[in-house]
Amino acid sequence: MGRVSRRGAAGLLVGLVSLTAALSGCGSDSADGPVTLRFVWWGNEDRAKVTRAAVDEFQKRNPDIKVETEYSGYDAYFQKLSTQVAGGAGPDLLQLDRATVGEYAGRKVLADLGEHTGKDLKLDKIPANLLEGGKVDGKQYAVAGGATTQMLIFDPTHFEAAGVPVPTAPGEKWTWAQFTEAMTKVGAAGQVAGTTDFGWAVDWFEVWLHQHGKSLYTPDGKLGFTADELAEYWEMIGTMRSGKGVSAAEVTTKMDGSVQNSGIVTKQAASEIGYDSAVTGYFGAFGPNLKLAPLPSDVAESGMAAMPPVSFAVSQRSKHKAAAVKLLDFLLNDPEAGKLLGASRGVPPNEEIRAQVCSSADGGSKAVCDYEAAQQDKIGPAFGAWPTGSSAIKRDFQRTYDDVIFNRVSVADAAKRVVQDAEQSLGS
Amino acid sequence: MTQSVLTRPPVPADPPPTSAARGRRRRGQGVAYLFLSPWIIGAALLTIGPMVASLYLSFTDYDLFEAPTWIGVDNYVTMFTGDERFWHAAWTTTKYVLVSVPLKLGLALAVAMLLNRARKGVGLYRSAFYAPSLLGASVSVALAWRAMFSTDGTVDRVLSSIGLDIGGWVDQPQYALLTLVALAAWQFGAPMVIFLAGLKQVPRELYEAAAIDGAGPSRRFLSVTLPMLSPVILFNLVLETIHAFQAFTGAFVVSSGRGGPSDSTLLYPLYLYQRGFTDFRMGYASAMAWVLLAVVAILTALVFRSARRWVFYAGEDR
Repeated sequence: MGRVSRRGAAGLLVGLVSLTAALSGCGSDSADGPVTLRFVWWGNEDRAKVTRAAVDEFQKRNPDIKVETEYSGYDAYFQKLSTQVAGGAGPDLLQLDRATVGEYAGRKVLADLGEHTGKDLKLDKIPANLLEGGKVDGKQYAVAGGATTQMLIFDPTHFEAAGVPVPTAPGEKWTWAQFTEAMTKVGAAGQVAGTTDFGWAVDWFEVWLHQHGKSLYTPDGKLGFTADELAEYWEMIGTMRSGKGVSAAEVTTKMDGSVQNSGIVTKQAASEIGYDSAVTGYFGAFGPNLKLAPLPSDVAESGMAAMPPVSFAVSQRSKHKAAAVKLLDFLLNDPEAGKLLGASRGVPPNEEIRAQVCSSADGGSKAVCDYEAAQQDKIGPAFGAWPTGSSAIKRDFQRTYDDVIFNRVSVADAAKRVVQDAEQSLGS
Repeated sequence: MTQSVLTRPPVPADPPPTSAARGRRRRGQGVAYLFLSPWIIGAALLTIGPMVASLYLSFTDYDLFEAPTWIGVDNYVTMFTGDERFWHAAWTTTKYVLVSVPLKLGLALAVAMLLNRARKGVGLYRSAFYAPSLLGASVSVALAWRAMFSTDGTVDRVLSSIGLDIGGWVDQPQYALLTLVALAAWQFGAPMVIFLAGLKQVPRELYEAAAIDGAGPSRRFLSVTLPMLSPVILFNLVLETIHAFQAFTGAFVVSSGRGGPSDSTLLYPLYLYQRGFTDFRMGYASAMAWVLLAVVAILTALVFRSARRWVFYAGEDR
């Protein structure tokens, strides 16, 4: 017995030594050995297809870097990501949005890209207002993967059938009253609702707030609106619901920002408010017969802004930060990558590439370029980054709106609850 | 199980063991532990270790990424005094357990009795009724369930065709939880097989004697089947109640992880998951897990205590 266990101990020791050696081998960030990166994002299939093509091109040029890619829908993506990062198996390069950049940077998951900027990461062609969205406490933790703005995407056949004009030409605009009337007419005329009920997403409320000189969050990370303002906004949408101007509660409750669940793709609504970064997805899922229009506004300010639809960040725990930054730089600045990616994450953030991509775009990418060009003077600078706690607020906002549309709570009480929950989330 | 009281081995009346015998026994135990080691190692590393860790985490503020900080009982205090959704989730789970467990057990017993009577093709039917339980916990069935009960899904269309225009069940707060109950009840295979085994053990003579005394089918069911089956009912009741409190997959898949519409499918384990993995409050989630453990333990103890009144073991005098 004793001899066996001594031999066993020796074996264990040998095993441990070799394991340690293997681990330390992984740890070195050497440029010469082959490295494997993991790059993850959420999105529709069209985005996956072009992103993989760009990654293939990167691997062809950098044979010593292997890139594994993974993608999924928005909800599933963040469920997986948090688990992986917590378990120490996080990706090297990842995609985040406004709610999650603050969340992950604040929890020290992201690497500060400042030390790479100007060296192996060139950001000088990306507009400053887009870069602002990736900063937390003055440090660049993420870089915009595209530029997008708010839009109404609509199926012109329903609007023509109802005899309702939609402003699409440069300089044309409409008020909320005109918008409400148009949607109610379309809802009354056809089988489908005028537009997908947009009260669930905090993003569109943000636009409305900006039209009223307010914002979702103050620059110092406090809540920027009151319960009364939210109640007024939800009441306005409520007037459309009764006349089928907006989609029914059973449809609205399924909204998650994904194209396949959207009201317009499931043929429940004739139009939908969204970001134009999703247009290639809409074209892929619905077909090319869709048009874009600006959001309504009662004031000179359109409330629309140039936003990063997604941002890329490098994990603080990545063992191959240099290689991850190299891939990021390629995605942002390489003309070939720009051509492949097109407008799959909004128009390219790099202005030179954007001009080049837009000059030869077709299909959904062309629709996005044309829309951005037509609305150019209406699109304001990016709204500020969202603070830590904002992803919980985004979820609570939608959850509470569910209670409103199923008539489980009055609009006034619901608005009060959103404000209460939000203040708690920002405090924690 | 009904035999356990009767077949308990007699207490050995051996003389006190000598030291040599003790040594032999200890070596014997060593071998036993060796054979047990796969289970012991698994239980220690994968069950007991994480449980101890989660007990510790429940007293901390832990966001998954940074080191946990000790905050005492704050998580528990917040849960009971300042979290409406906690109470909502607890109530939703209570409703779910109260409806789904009796429904599932009733179905299981009914089908088991039918199968017990059938002569031909029993094996085939048994497998067919058991199949949903093999598939049931899987994500794919929950996905199919969601598709069936959504707007314009199979159920909606069938009901519409007979004039019941309810719409999609999973999309409406008043029906969504019912789809989860139905999903649970449909997976009655495991308790059914256990009931079937129990039914086969009921002596035929009892039924014959009862029939001679003039007892009809319902009387025979109430006075023979149920009492003879009561230990099996107890076993199934305890097991299924514990399962129902832990129900997660169905609610997660049917509501895309959100517990909607309007929080109507926010079962307790789903809320626990949301707290831990989407709100990054793993300390709070751990505390919730321990509260659930305590509640389930207390309920199980109560069921066992009540069992003295209604469970009948063969060989007992009543």
